[in-house]
Amino acid sequence: MSPGFLSFVRRLGWVLVWAGLYLLGFVAYELWGTDLLADRSQHRLDQQLAEILPLQQEKVEERFYDASTGRILAEKPSGQVETKPIQWEPTPAEAEGFGKIRIAKIGLDAVMVEGVQRETLKLGPGHMSSTPMPGQPGNAVLSGHRTTYGAPFADLEDLAVGDLIEVETATGLHTYQLREPPLVVKPTDIWVTDPREGAWLTLTTCHPKFSARQRLVVFAELVSGPNAASILES
Amino acid sequence: MGRLFAALPGPYLLRLLLMVVLVVAVAVAVLSSYEWLGNLLDSGGGIE
Repeated sequence: MSPGFLSFVRRLGWVLVWAGLYLLGFVAYELWGTDLLADRSQHRLDQQLAEILPLQQEKVEERFYDASTGRILAEKPSGQVETKPIQWEPTPAEAEGFGKIRIAKIGLDAVMVEGVQRETLKLGPGHMSSTPMPGQPGNAVLSGHRTTYGAPFADLEDLAVGDLIEVETATGLHTYQLREPPLVVKPTDIWVTDPREGAWLTLTTCHPKFSARQRLVVFAELVSGPNAASILES
Repeated sequence: MGRLFAALPGPYLLRLLLMVVLVVAVAVAVLSSYEWLGNLLDSGGGIE
């Protein structure tokens, strides 16, 4: 073998060694590094929530839900329009923790944050700001990581019709119940975020695991909570 | 690392500073590439 060929093989060997180290680092970062970062964020958010929730509770107002139009009115309308009083809270600032989501069946107990920007979702399950807050009429949408950054929605696929999802916000504890089996859609299927009659919670995450090719979606309907009676009676 | 340090120009302190800058730049580049690749595996589950 010529010295030139041996030199080439030696260099190729080093390139492969560095490539292997890079890939090992990538796997370690994705599987454990991002989890550590998310754990720290969740711990910090959990501590902040104790201070933020009372402030957010001060902003809670009584508003009026008009089921015929799905609108929430700041003042009770005069005349024939029938409305029901509901507890309403404003949308918090981007990346601010505003409540907790618990799903006993999959062992989820996480602080929710406002927004679904990539940086925000690294902190925890994020609320899509263009949708109503959880516990309000309409379709509140939450997105979360499936395999990295604490993987809050890792086991969403294991949920079945009838399973309960608890969401605690400034307005109180809201319980939702799964009405349909988990559904797989395209990432561009924005219809899953469309407004719905009544009060719904829609959870979205990546599908299948270790791929962002599709989305796994679950739909749950409000069954109890401070606003449930007003919304369900309407 | 030792050979790279020796190959850097200037006095000892300048070479040390260049080495630190180089290591930090490589670490930032590697972590940024991990973030980019990670988004292909799990983008956070948002509907776009």
